[in-house]
Amino acid sequence: MKENYLAKWLNGELSDAELKAFRETPEFKAYERIASFSSRLEGPGFDTEAALARVKSARPGTGGKVVRLQPAMRWLSIAAAVILMLAAGYYYVNTLDASVEAAYAQRQEVRLPDASEVLLNAGTELTYSKNNWDRERHVRLSGEAFFKVAKGKTFTVETASGDVTVLGTQFNVLQRGDVFIVSCYEGLVRVDHQGQSIELPAGSAYRVEGGAALKSETVESEVPSWTGGETAFRSMPMSFVIDEFRRQYNMEVETRGVDLSRRYTGTISNTNMNLALQSISAPMQLKYEVEGNKVLLYAENAP
Amino acid sequence: MDNVCDDQVYSEIFRAHSKTIFNYIYYKFGNEEKAHDAVQEAFVKLWEHCAKVTPEKARAFVSTVANNLYLNVIKAEKVRLKHREPGGNVTRESPEFLLEEQEFKEKLETALSALPENQRTTFLLNRIDGKTYAQIAELEGVSVKAIEKRMHQALKSLREDIDGI
Repeated sequence: MKENYLAKWLNGELSDAELKAFRETPEFKAYERIASFSSRLEGPGFDTEAALARVKSARPGTGGKVVRLQPAMRWLSIAAAVILMLAAGYYYVNTLDASVEAAYAQRQEVRLPDASEVLLNAGTELTYSKNNWDRERHVRLSGEAFFKVAKGKTFTVETASGDVTVLGTQFNVLQRGDVFIVSCYEGLVRVDHQGQSIELPAGSAYRVEGGAALKSETVESEVPSWTGGETAFRSMPMSFVIDEFRRQYNMEVETRGVDLSRRYTGTISNTNMNLALQSISAPMQLKYEVEGNKVLLYAENAP
Repeated sequence: MDNVCDDQVYSEIFRAHSKTIFNYIYYKFGNEEKAHDAVQEAFVKLWEHCAKVTPEKARAFVSTVANNLYLNVIKAEKVRLKHREPGGNVTRESPEFLLEEQEFKEKLETALSALPENQRTTFLLNRIDGKTYAQIAELEGVSVKAIEKRMHQALKSLREDIDGI
């Protein structure tokens, strides 16, 4: 049979004699079945109009018209380049990040470009891009802050432990050392921590200590306790409580015979130091002495 | 004068050729995502060059772009195809017949996937899309004779594979 006769057969190009001879071969029936079966096959669905809409939104809008520069335009283009460089320089200076810090024994309120409010607790640093806010809606946080985000505005709080993404809400982020606690008071936030993404509705908190033991807790109050006159602790190590005391009163603290890993649950005043020290020492069977800007905290049975 | 930069003309060209480009790349690699990307790439490029490409040349232009997109050989996946039932008396088919049809379809799909990519593409463009050998030759940028050879070889290999020779 002639060259490529199968292709010619499918295309109806065989002569009657050739076709007759082909029909008599034992393979013919199989070929016929493949040919007819395959013509009833279909590829995956393709929605032409949807694809057209996608392409139209992806293609550049200029229509590919090329405008050639006139020789006289040349000096203009040089001038444009100079202006561009000046603009770039101005832009660069403007995009430098703004940094706000609340020192020990201080609070600091920050109003972000979108009118969101942030209250920084003592010993906290917040960095954000002041003039580039529209493109870079994110802040960097080290310490503890309470966020009241303007409605409909989304942005991200980056910390050393993980990211918190926000959509019109009130929430508190604490990141100090290996402790990372996010509490949501209103709306919804998303916490991204070590590859895990957790959505946190109002009234719940997410807590990480020492990189382990993710724990979900409930939040009962309307705002974090520290924004008022006191700070509440729920099962926090004594070391953390003492550090927080230090930050709130800017005092040096010395401990003697105190188990710093013991857990403390309670509330300490942020305005009355003696009251705060009583709140810490009494339930833990500790005593304290204050001298100048130093506090000595010691176990009752210690020498 | 018809100009590809005209949105109307451009849309018509898209409607006429995008599905072929899509199927062409799908038959090649068995990957829908790549096929969608190829359509996107080819027609965005066409838009970018619309001032230089006449409507008559547009089809060849998009084929060439799609063809060049995956020059680096990517491993083809199994081509999955749907089977259109012949209209009319389907309901009278016995379960045995339907089962056998299904088995045949699976055998054919496996055999198709075993074909060299250029034979599979040619065969399916002809069988499914009803493209003539001349049209496929233009799409692939080879002679009609070369397409006939691929077609012949494809059918031969499919038959041998299905009959277990």
